[in-house]
Amino acid sequence: MKRRTVIQDLALGGAVVAVAGLPYGLSRLLAPAGEPRPLRNYMRPPGALKDDAAFVSACIGCGMCGEICPPRSIDFHTRDGGDKVNTPFINPVRKGCILCNKCMEVCPTEALTVVARKDIDMGLAQIDETACYPWVDQGICGACVGICPLGTKAIGFKMWNQYRPYIMDGCVGCGICVEVCPHPSKPIWIVQRTPTIQTQGTA
Amino acid sequence: MPPTSLEKPFVLWRHLNKLRWVVLSVIFAMLVLLPFIHVYQNYVTAYAYDLLAPSEQRLYDVMEALTDPFVSDPARQLDAVKGTTWSGTFWGWQLSDPLAALGQMSAGLTVNVSFLLTALVPVVLTIVFGRFFCGWICPATFLYELNSNFAAWLRWADIKTGNQQFDKRLKYGVLVLGLVISAITGAVFIAAVYPPAIIGRELYYAVALGGFGAGSVFFAITLLFDLIVARRGFCRYLCPGGALYSLLGRYRLVRIKRIVENCIDCTKCNVVCEFGLDPLRDNFGQECNNCTACMAICPTEALTFTLRPTDVAAQGPGHLGRHFKP
Repeated sequence: MKRRTVIQDLALGGAVVAVAGLPYGLSRLLAPAGEPRPLRNYMRPPGALKDDAAFVSACIGCGMCGEICPPRSIDFHTRDGGDKVNTPFINPVRKGCILCNKCMEVCPTEALTVVARKDIDMGLAQIDETACYPWVDQGICGACVGICPLGTKAIGFKMWNQYRPYIMDGCVGCGICVEVCPHPSKPIWIVQRTPTIQTQGTA
Repeated sequence: MPPTSLEKPFVLWRHLNKLRWVVLSVIFAMLVLLPFIHVYQNYVTAYAYDLLAPSEQRLYDVMEALTDPFVSDPARQLDAVKGTTWSGTFWGWQLSDPLAALGQMSAGLTVNVSFLLTALVPVVLTIVFGRFFCGWICPATFLYELNSNFAAWLRWADIKTGNQQFDKRLKYGVLVLGLVISAITGAVFIAAVYPPAIIGRELYYAVALGGFGAGSVFFAITLLFDLIVARRGFCRYLCPGGALYSLLGRYRLVRIKRIVENCIDCTKCNVVCEFGLDPLRDNFGQECNNCTACMAICPTEALTFTLRPTDVAAQGPGHLGRHFKP
């Protein structure tokens, strides 16, 4: 094979790869800046230690929190766990937390400690305003607001649009709203509280 | 015929082994039942009977029939008994495995007094009765002993099963290694290699959460290890919990003693001992779990309980045996 044809083939191959990658590169360049939405938003049961490493070392994996949970919300890391194996989590897409305090009372270690309902901090709901029905096309929904066990302290409407949900400071991240959200892509989900996350204020 | 000793074991002690099997069966049955009870409570709480699938309605009916005589409010009253042998709650009284307390201490490198207190009663019982958990409570023992019986059937059918001997001190190394790994990784790693914790957990996962986890594979491997490599090999040589209880029960007060005057050197006690101990030569050691299998099988009432912190010194051949020379 001649050197010339080899170089031509290599150049052609490079060009094909560059053209094939063009849509992805363009979409990356044109995409809005911001945190990507997490693939799975699992949270620890209520009253869990805030530092997850401390939680993992305090949890002995006895499974009693799951065994006492009335709606069977609490699931356990098994093969996906790594060092988190056998520790509890709540997948709000499957089942949210009903804030009944039983898991905190039954936990033998300090992994879950009893806290008042308003002081529970499992996270904070976030709404994807590019997918939520009322936010996108003025649809009528309000399922998350209707189900919220904390009422208007955690999630509510603004006067000028009856059906667009807003997250308030009182949200404890129980995930019931995620469970009932009718949109298949679940445009509401739970994130961990950080100083940069803004809510719509107190109700 | 030389005179036998006037010392006889109390007549019920040779039946303790049957009681032990009843206790083991009840505890294992509870571990199977509790996840079903939880699923039933779940349905009760949701007032969901009419929405259930036919199989779920059958589960509801069975659990209702089982629990209805005892409780009027299943959603709340059935919370009285929860958990496994690893950590459980009984009418508000919390009990934990001492290994759980130790593993959690080493993982967190902290001392959590309220959690340690839940392991206090088991520790005191272990100091008095030795490694009794292994013989009388452990849900893995239930399956391991059935596995031993299965191995006996296999041998009866001329299929070879393993009977390798290893150093019994291996399990102390496993205990230390497990605690060190727990301390390094910051997770209670030891719970992943401790069969009773695995069984309680896996039964719950299987019944209530729809699938066995990774631990069931580990447990199946230990069953095969016992069958192919060494009889009761995991308990004898590898179990970290057994190591901890052996250490705690080293100077246990309640121990088994051979009445040398009644012994005929038949070696049945040595053959039946699941932990490979040597009752025939008065060599029980710290690994004896007071399971009383040797007492049950002894044909001449030559084994009894005694209250003393150390084993009786070797007494030589039994006085009714062929090797005894007065």
